[in-house]
Amino acid sequence: MRDGMLMCICGAVSFGLLATVSKIAERKKCDASALTVGVFAWAALFMLGQSIRVAGKFQMTWPVILLAVGLGVCAAVAYFAFQTSIARGKVTIGWLMMNLSAGVPAIVSIWFYGEKLTVFRSAAFGLAFISLLCLFQGHRLEAQAKSGGEVG
Amino acid sequence: MWLFLMLIILLTNGMSSFGLKVLPTWGFSSSITYAYLTVWYAAGLVCIGAPMLFKGLKGGLKEMWLGAVLAALSIGGQLAMANALQAGLPGNVVFPVTVGGSILIVAVAGRLFFGEKMHPLSWVGVVAGCLAVVLLSVS
Repeated sequence: MRDGMLMCICGAVSFGLLATVSKIAERKKCDASALTVGVFAWAALFMLGQSIRVAGKFQMTWPVILLAVGLGVCAAVAYFAFQTSIARGKVTIGWLMMNLSAGVPAIVSIWFYGEKLTVFRSAAFGLAFISLLCLFQGHRLEAQAKSGGEVG
Repeated sequence: MWLFLMLIILLTNGMSSFGLKVLPTWGFSSSITYAYLTVWYAAGLVCIGAPMLFKGLKGGLKEMWLGAVLAALSIGGQLAMANALQAGLPGNVVFPVTVGGSILIVAVAGRLFFGEKMHPLSWVGVVAGCLAVVLLSVS
């Protein structure tokens, strides 16, 4: 159990550093599309190596390929949008948005697989809605204050 | 523009991991995961890389090595989560700790290293968002 908790913390640190290094890349004026290509190229190479090492071959069916292509495109667009957004807004809000997006497949699961809308999920959706309203309004007020300060 | 980017992130990022939930329901074993993720990453690479090629844009060395660091952190995070689950820790502990912890780390780093000051309303949004993410992970 202690090892599991240690792994959890390692996961949190890895993902936290992922967003932090993305912000460092933005400060170093890295091109968002080239950075996204770099991330996906290295990760694809690693996964290909693992795939051949574990299974000894690379075998896929067409429905799985189509699913992987569609959702892989979604992932690349999401990371590109995140990398672009942190040049204009806060990295904390961008990263929170990346994680809040977990609500979308939860909604799709309810609709697609007929999963139950539990009390926890209802509360989560309610809080996510409140969070989005506060974040967007907060960003608007920050922008207003900034432009007011510049004029004044 | 910022609002538009946030909406794109919201709609695309969550859906991108939906495939790993769909594969078992299609009767595929976990042995296909690496092959699936290879195509998944390759598709993302082509989606962003192809327009770059057409525009004649080239990436620099800093993008390549920072890309390697980011890929290692992404894969490291996924493997750490998988190992935590294999070590017997329940998913309703692993996901909230990992996701909630990463948001906390980013919020602290944003404040300390990048001097990001947020409006109090944005902080309310961050706290409500963290709670929502934790509840989504638990449910």
